[in-house]
Amino acid sequence: MSRDALGKALLETPIPVSADAEERGRRVVAAAFAQRPDEVQVGPRSHLPSLPRLALGLALATLLATLLLSPAGADVRGWVGDAFTSSTPRPEPTLARVPGGGQLLVQTGEGPVVVQTDGSRRLLGDYEAASWSPHGLFVAAVEKRTLSALEPDGTPRWSITASHRVAVPRWSPSGERIAYRSGLDLRVIAGDGTEDRLLAGSTAAGTPRDARISPAYVPPAWAPTGENALAYVTGAARLRILDSETGAVLTAAPALPRITWMGWADGGRKILEASRGKVRLRPVWRAGHPSRPALGKPRLLPLPPGAVVNDAALAPQRSLVVVSVTYWRKHDTYSEILVFRPGKGPHTLLSVPGSLGQVEWSPDGKRLLVAWPGANQWLFLPLGHGRGRAIANISRAIAPSGRPTSFPELEGWCCRR
Amino acid sequence: MPVESGAEERRLVREAQSGSGAAMSELYSLHWRGAYRAAYLVVHDAAAAEDIAQDGFIAAVDALDRFDRRRPFAPWLHRIVVNRALDWARRETLRRRVDGAESVFEPLPPPEEIGGEMIAALKELPAEQRAVVVLRHLLEYTPGEIAAMLDLPRGTVNSRLRRGLDRLRATAETQTTAEGVR
Repeated sequence: MSRDALGKALLETPIPVSADAEERGRRVVAAAFAQRPDEVQVGPRSHLPSLPRLALGLALATLLATLLLSPAGADVRGWVGDAFTSSTPRPEPTLARVPGGGQLLVQTGEGPVVVQTDGSRRLLGDYEAASWSPHGLFVAAVEKRTLSALEPDGTPRWSITASHRVAVPRWSPSGERIAYRSGLDLRVIAGDGTEDRLLAGSTAAGTPRDARISPAYVPPAWAPTGENALAYVTGAARLRILDSETGAVLTAAPALPRITWMGWADGGRKILEASRGKVRLRPVWRAGHPSRPALGKPRLLPLPPGAVVNDAALAPQRSLVVVSVTYWRKHDTYSEILVFRPGKGPHTLLSVPGSLGQVEWSPDGKRLLVAWPGANQWLFLPLGHGRGRAIANISRAIAPSGRPTSFPELEGWCCRR
Repeated sequence: MPVESGAEERRLVREAQSGSGAAMSELYSLHWRGAYRAAYLVVHDAAAAEDIAQDGFIAAVDALDRFDRRRPFAPWLHRIVVNRALDWARRETLRRRVDGAESVFEPLPPPEEIGGEMIAALKELPAEQRAVVVLRHLLEYTPGEIAAMLDLPRGTVNSRLRRGLDRLRATAETQTTAEGVR
């Protein structure tokens, strides 16, 4: 085989490509280009706003006007405050401090990074994923078959080596236990690295044929009430609540098909399940006894038709759910941040062209961090009055080496002081 | 890959640095297909390739003001795109490689839409070998340039290229033999 033949094959062989892919990317890139902070621009700029910037500004202004002038908008008004008056906030060129305080844990291509309140960052090491302990005193980190507890400066406290690859460690609210996956097993270990034991064995059998990723890799979720109740999804797509001390199954029900994420909501009275296209809330009845929960009938949250769910997040201490969605309208991609309150329809907190990403609540539940990978920005949105802030150049600002490889993933925002 | 004139590209970069959205759009038009194709041939996933190409341009926009416009734009973009594609492919491999014999992934749909045995054979190579083959034979960079792009020793690039080409050659010969037998 000659090089020419290979080059020709690589260059000319048809490859699958969506008809709209190029234009879709062009709009996002144009929006990102229009959002570049003035401080770093070189040379003279036109006094007239560029078309993408104008379009973006008009779209946001129209949306905001609709929101604030409509009857439902009056309700939103108190939420949005003056976060977005006529357009998204002018992006600040770098993360000088975390708005609202606290520490962020993010996963970069080089490993997990803790971003301190003053914006300084520290790479914890070569780990694949990490999560906070409840008070931010430690981080649980995984790398291949190793589960480690680290101090937030990266100092290891303990490590264990499991028999299979470790994933999705989650600390209990008391800090006494960490639930994690080892292969397809669900295991639990004490916060000091002792008493490692199996909670539920491999449940791969029965994994739905249409599942691209096993539901067993949905992170387990501890009940926020400080009990031993641990919710997890089996490989057979069953949502189960276990007693983490005895391993007894307290209750179970079919999980949302193709579930990707779940968590406890409303102070442990509901469980939120999310898939690529749906989000639903399922009541958890206590049936007269806290140790005997029962799962009620789930209710789907209304989303825009055809919306893809990017992320969902539950407000700490409040009955609020926020969902980040992306959808198509007339050949354009839009993303929205929807806020759900009990018994009410969704409120659109933010709408932008292109794709938004993850959402994370601040520890006090007063602020929302929205990832906007398409614009390489993080948006910090206050729910009450106050200014929203946009931070630009996130890939570079967070990358430990200063050489961005990918947009960082949010792992947690800690902690309430 | 179509190569536009260096002077024209420098003009576009200069105008984009000065804030011209039209120049940025033109740079995008010139380079999107190459970036997408390179990303696709490394990751073999159309949706991921689209995201990676888009991310590459976003990163380029982010760093545009620091870009030395005496240098060509394409290698700079390709470096970003191929490195991101490699990151994606490694993460995907990691996710698939759940310990033990059991895989928690259902197999991806067969690549019916992908034409050519060579593309299918390329998919069977490790991501690192795919990346150097794509950089060398699609984008026509020299091993030295590839080494700089991927931050690798030149010897590693050469060995990955050799192993990758050996495997592709073996595939091609097997297919030729099979066709001859028919």
